Amino acid sequence: MKRSEFRSDRSSASFSGTMRAALMAGAAMVALAAPAAAEGQLVLLVWEGYADDSIVKPFEEQTGCRVDPIYVGSNDEIVSKVMSGGGAADLISPSNDTAMRLVDAGVIAPVDPAKVPSMADFMPQFRNPEWLMKEGQLYGVPYGWGLIRIIADADKVPADTDSLGFLWDPAYKGQISVWDDIETLYMAARYLGFENTYDLTDEQLEAVKAKLIEMKPNIRKYWFTTGEMGTLMSGGEVVGGSSWEPTLVELWAAGKNVIDVKAKEGRGGYSDSWMIVRGAEENECVYPWLEYVSTPGAQALAHKVTGFGYPNSRMAAELDEETRATYERLGMSDSESLANIDWWQPVERRTKYLEIWNQVKAAAQ
Amino acid sequence: MLLWLLPPVAWFSVFILVPYAMLFWYSLGHTEDMRFVPGLSLANFARVFTDEPYLGVILKSARIGLMTAILSAIVAWPLAFVIAFHTRSASVKFALYLLVIVPWWASYLVKAYAWKTILGTNGILNATLQGLGFTDEPVRLFLYNEFSVVLTLTYIFTPFAVLSIYAQLERIPTSLVEAAKNLGAGGWEIFWRIVLPISVPGIIAGGIITFSLAFGDFVAPVLVGGSDSVMISNIVINLLGVAFDWPMAAAIGLVIITLGLGLISLTGWLEEKTKVRL
Repeated sequence: MKRSEFRSDRSSASFSGTMRAALMAGAAMVALAAPAAAEGQLVLLVWEGYADDSIVKPFEEQTGCRVDPIYVGSNDEIVSKVMSGGGAADLISPSNDTAMRLVDAGVIAPVDPAKVPSMADFMPQFRNPEWLMKEGQLYGVPYGWGLIRIIADADKVPADTDSLGFLWDPAYKGQISVWDDIETLYMAARYLGFENTYDLTDEQLEAVKAKLIEMKPNIRKYWFTTGEMGTLMSGGEVVGGSSWEPTLVELWAAGKNVIDVKAKEGRGGYSDSWMIVRGAEENECVYPWLEYVSTPGAQALAHKVTGFGYPNSRMAAELDEETRATYERLGMSDSESLANIDWWQPVERRTKYLEIWNQVKAAAQ
Repeated sequence: MLLWLLPPVAWFSVFILVPYAMLFWYSLGHTEDMRFVPGLSLANFARVFTDEPYLGVILKSARIGLMTAILSAIVAWPLAFVIAFHTRSASVKFALYLLVIVPWWASYLVKAYAWKTILGTNGILNATLQGLGFTDEPVRLFLYNEFSVVLTLTYIFTPFAVLSIYAQLERIPTSLVEAAKNLGAGGWEIFWRIVLPISVPGIIAGGIITFSLAFGDFVAPVLVGGSDSVMISNIVINLLGVAFDWPMAAAIGLVIITLGLGLISLTGWLEEKTKVRL
């Protein structure tokens, strides 16, 4: 749900995509008249942007495989479509808070890394990530990723801030904004030093709730879309809080002096992965696609569309100078700076987490 | 004759009876690993009343709805009065009427965003106050709290109050007012003893509309609300989308519908009681 909010937020990027898709549909109909060169067909259940024409078209030309994307707005949608066996998708692109649930449900086929040679160039974090490993087997190829950034106005907050603690500092009364999402619950758990962020006990959840209620006097507003956080920062409403990379990029581009706080308590991270729906491993277009989207070139094209991070360490070299500078400033090509990431995992008690979050929001200051 | 009954009965079944029965069916079950498991348990209803934050948020939403209804009535009444009694020219009347309606052609979102730019720290209101020298520092109390939520909702829903109060006031014959004058009543007396009492059913009718719309709103708290402005519709959306807890969302929905039916019955009775035969 929230994921979709975030994505729809960046719909301007996909608008031209949609326009192009419409034009391409016309072209495709013309192409149908010609003798079909297609060797196979690939159905993708993906986020909008993951099957943008700029990425799909070169693949179709190289391999003769036809790609049919079905767009989804949330992980729930992927789960319900795959579980019900309906969509007949070959590949899906869920996030790490959903991936293992699908594996556990037995609907995903393992990936043979030998058939995806470009994975050898992936940053170490993404070669055998915990969220895709079960019984020594790899169940997906990591793709778009990003961190939940803690940002602060350098003119108001000390530049050497390296802890989440400033979010609770009474000096910033009414000047903080954090994400209206259970990620904020995770963040407080990290600050409290709980290591089982995604499997908290009732007592821990109560402690998290108390900590977040303690933050409320500082909260100007819980932001809902990444664009909103940018507006709150540039409009002088708040001096810091949590955000996604696009907000930071936007604020930097506008010349704002904003720090990307590398909290020592750790940062949350999402990572989407290409996963093979059980039964589709026989499809001869599956591995060519997995290899293609793992190459630096295809990931650079994808970055241009989505602005996300991508796992291939040689991807940054393919970007234009300005984009690369921003990418490096975000530390996304530097494996070292990604050491302290609390990657998302499935939360079994999501209803409970959400209830706690709603209690926090409903609590009087 | 029976043929005439078919469309309303079909409508009622397809769009009301069946969906509500489904809602009730969902509310009795629970979810396991994002999948609905049917059941016959009232546990979700118990949760609405015993677990935080549900009942508290329902009451808060009702309070915001009530404040919106009262403020809308206060803003709407004088305007409805002027249109009904003090506008001689039909074209001016029509123009005023249009001015009430036209904002409805603009998107709700645009109007809510407009309040952000008016009330914000660097907003129009603060710029004006600072320019006039009333304050040196921007006032931060205007935006991102319950005040801004109620203000936005009042602004957006007031036309409903204007129209229903106007409809009631227009029914007052001028002869009644003239008779009161002949019998020696002053302006205030006419207002207190004739015009205001007759307008009460219109105030109630407008109030029930503005209350319901504000009570169920979920956009204003997201756009202009502050750290504790969550309303019940926001929670229902979260339950559906984030937690995938459809049964709980259905239970909340049914509780609200029941409360709504009670409220509508009460106001129906009140309207009947306050009605003046003309």
